[in-house]
Amino acid sequence: MAPRTDTAPAPKTRRRVLEGARTFASRKRTREIGLVWLFLAPSLAIFTIYRIVPLIWNGVLSFQFWSPYKPAEFAGLYHYEEMLFYDEAFWETLWNTLIFMASAPVGIALALGVALLVDTPIRGRNTYRTIVFMSYPVMTVAVGIIWQWLFNEKVGLINYVLISLGVIDQGIPFLESFTFALPAVIVASIWQVIGFYMIILLTGLQSIPPSLYEAAAIDGAGAVQRFRRITLPLIRPSLFLCFVVGIINSFTAFDLIFVMTGGGPGHATDLLVTYIYSTAFRLSKFDYAAAITVVNFLLFVALAFLANRLAGGEAGAVKPGG
Amino acid sequence: MKRLAAALAAGALALGLLPGMAAAQEKKITVMTWNIPYFEEGFQVWVDEFKKLHPDFTVERIDMKGTELPTFYQTQVVAGTPPDIVDVQGGLWLEYASQGGLTDLTPFLERDKDYTGRLYPEVLANWEYEGKNYGVPLYVSKTLLFLNRKMMQEAGITKDPESFDEIMTAAEKMAGGEKTGLMTLNFDWLYWPLFAMNGVEFVNEAGTEAAFNTPETVALVQRLAEATQKGVIDKISWTGRWVEPNGAFAAGTVGMLHAHAPAYLWFQSKADWVNPETVGAINLPGGWSTPNSHALIMSKGTKWPEQSWDFMKIATSGAGAKAMGTGTNNLTGDRAVNEELMAYFAKEIPAVVPALETQFQNLDKLTGNWPFAKDAALKEAFYPELQAAVLGEKDVKEALDSAERKVNRVLSSR
Amino acid sequence: MHRYPRWPVHVALLAVSTIMLVPFYWVLKTSLTGENIFAFPPALWPENPHPFFYVDVWYAIPFFRYLVNSVIVSVVVVAANVVLNGMAGYALTRDFPGKATTILLFLSCMMIPFQVTIIPAYLITSELGLLNSHAGMALPLSSTIVCIFIFKAAFEAIPKSLIDAARIDGVPDWMIVFRIIMPLTKPAIATNVILSFIWSWNSFLWPLVIIRDETMQTLPLGLSRFLSVVEDTTGALYAFCVMVLVPGLVIFLLAQKEFVSGLTSGATKG
Repeated sequence: MAPRTDTAPAPKTRRRVLEGARTFASRKRTREIGLVWLFLAPSLAIFTIYRIVPLIWNGVLSFQFWSPYKPAEFAGLYHYEEMLFYDEAFWETLWNTLIFMASAPVGIALALGVALLVDTPIRGRNTYRTIVFMSYPVMTVAVGIIWQWLFNEKVGLINYVLISLGVIDQGIPFLESFTFALPAVIVASIWQVIGFYMIILLTGLQSIPPSLYEAAAIDGAGAVQRFRRITLPLIRPSLFLCFVVGIINSFTAFDLIFVMTGGGPGHATDLLVTYIYSTAFRLSKFDYAAAITVVNFLLFVALAFLANRLAGGEAGAVKPGG
Repeated sequence: MKRLAAALAAGALALGLLPGMAAAQEKKITVMTWNIPYFEEGFQVWVDEFKKLHPDFTVERIDMKGTELPTFYQTQVVAGTPPDIVDVQGGLWLEYASQGGLTDLTPFLERDKDYTGRLYPEVLANWEYEGKNYGVPLYVSKTLLFLNRKMMQEAGITKDPESFDEIMTAAEKMAGGEKTGLMTLNFDWLYWPLFAMNGVEFVNEAGTEAAFNTPETVALVQRLAEATQKGVIDKISWTGRWVEPNGAFAAGTVGMLHAHAPAYLWFQSKADWVNPETVGAINLPGGWSTPNSHALIMSKGTKWPEQSWDFMKIATSGAGAKAMGTGTNNLTGDRAVNEELMAYFAKEIPAVVPALETQFQNLDKLTGNWPFAKDAALKEAFYPELQAAVLGEKDVKEALDSAERKVNRVLSSR
Repeated sequence: MHRYPRWPVHVALLAVSTIMLVPFYWVLKTSLTGENIFAFPPALWPENPHPFFYVDVWYAIPFFRYLVNSVIVSVVVVAANVVLNGMAGYALTRDFPGKATTILLFLSCMMIPFQVTIIPAYLITSELGLLNSHAGMALPLSSTIVCIFIFKAAFEAIPKSLIDAARIDGVPDWMIVFRIIMPLTKPAIATNVILSFIWSWNSFLWPLVIIRDETMQTLPLGLSRFLSVVEDTTGALYAFCVMVLVPGLVIFLLAQKEFVSGLTSGATKG
């Protein structure tokens, strides 16, 4: 699969250039733009069907009284009022979601450390990669069950180890505790997703041409300098992607939370997405859930753009050098 | 390799497009059961009986776990293709019935007196909302108290508890170290008998306002909270759902378990120490209990109400009900069938008989089965606050005040 | 690049590996012994291991049928993801009017949780006539935004000079993608294969909602069905988890061997 360099309809091109460079450039430009949209079209179509239309549906619903059994009625801002002024659980779940997202950088930093280690030319690096990644393909339901056991107050391994080491004298009921339940769920979630972060970062690390490092080494740059000057700027798109994944990880943690705590105790581990789901399907309050969905969406988009700003401007742009 | 992958992909697409959708006016009824995929022979009995009446009909069966059933069902309702008959547990049907999503079965029940006469009226009344009946009992259970007699003996307790105080005293005696004295299931309103036996009313008689926030309730919750902190009541009582509490009881470290009858077979299958000598099954003090029964309901959107009703009658009475009972080890709503079933269990699984015997006693003392239109929302308003109080996260009075506010908000909102 | 000692790296990685593996070891152990996980103290080594739980799983549900369905859906999803995401990712590296908006649109689309789209997505799929089909299960997963951005990042890391050189040689754009860029973005392709496979393989709620026919069910639905048969958190469940996990790991290992290991030499060739 070597790059083909022999295809060159050169005479034709040359003639056109002679005829008029401007027309050619603009025609080529139009064709290129057409091609770009053609390339984007299938993905855009899928997202339109499965994301944008449902979002609009939720938007409309949030201003109505509606359930699967009744025709819709206009509700104005009723649901938004209920949510903002009367629903304590909404604020609690919102707060939990923010804490959950704030834990993403921890996981990403850990993953970056691991990714750097397994990117070195050491023996068995493929084995290490596989081991670190192994948690990600496990079905979330199974992850939830196993961590439920690990965190168990009486028979869990974590308490067993802590007691054996003399750190505590009595087991901590992690998942039954209002204080520890959310951190415990976060730990399980980081455990599951760290391999995913690692693989994204590894893709970024491996896209860096080794020649850049070699050149820097010749210039006498140390390991730390190489990391700051070359690695970090060049994996910025991957890092940004990890942050975005970190934000939406509160969606993917859905199954984990349902299995481990069911959102409890109280609403201690309920995130917006679990709250939306149970409001819609368990309480049959689809209209109210839609209003929370809209707020959740706006909040997340704002956060993504903030992350984008922090990552330095246009999403995923690469500005090599340092 | 690449060609193979491409061929596979093309083949998969073609395969995927073939099955297509069923024709709309097909003579077919769809029955959705709740978490009993293994119940195959018995279901066939129902279908065979049904075909005798309606030979030109086919029966489609879907089975869902309880956690997924509402999602699947409501999506189907929106799409206009709801299953005709659905097996539901607890108060789920109330949401659907109160919003007009279910067929009123009262006319059918009044017409088919011989069928209605077979059922326990108290049990049938569980599915009544605003004077109309929306469900018929598929299988029936309610809570009772299981006793770990080994632990009772070790603690020197010779008498079964007969009041709330005696339960708590016994629990205190048995607790210590890894051992806890009492555990309850908490989903739906299953823990409510603990409140009912202390005279707590959830709402006023008209059902318009919370009535539970009294000094007596505060004292009771305080007591439950303290017992939980001391490990007399197992914390799993307030956090676990089904597997965890029953698993913990199976481990043999819990003195008493407040659960419904099917729990017996579950923990018996997990622990070889369980037998009628080591595990007692008694009614709760005052005879209180919360039902956790399953009913068959009929979707409003059904195109075949008469045929569906025939199927429902077959499944819930006579031979069909017996097939249900023997196939899932449950009792049914049909009195005559239950007598046969008790004889069957006495022969096949004698150990479970004491637990089953409690199931049709004290039917006038059922609690936690209030017909609230917003049953799920009320649970959501009340339980997290109670949980915070008993787990020591929130001051009891504060939690009950907050619960009262939330419950009243649900009762008064549209 | 051999200037530092290797052992600290190994020590660090071994520590990480241990943490990652302990829960995993536990699943495997329990799948072989079926101990009650509420027993105390936890037995660290398997006692009397036996394969019966695996046999149970195989017979308790039509495992093979579900496996075939899962494979079909996943093959479609993986193929679609590599092609569609590659195209979209490449498009996003070019300058065109509306680019910023498109990127924002993609990012925003990520912020819509699947759980709130179930009902409208069901209705649309029904309109498309894809209910109860493999294509219907695969379609929503056929292009994923994370993977588009992975491609975009990989494309951007390719030295511009290489593409420019090809352009000057008059190589058409589509051929640049398939002949020059794709081979140079093997890690991104591998990542796409792995991730889209996992997402499709473990997808649960969507197949649950759109599949009514028992013969069309996939493995995760089988898990749910299986769980209700055994009502159990021990042996058989964990055996099932291992059986469902293995294909994911195999794909990872294959993709890793196929794409990643040959990379270091390949990336600089151009």
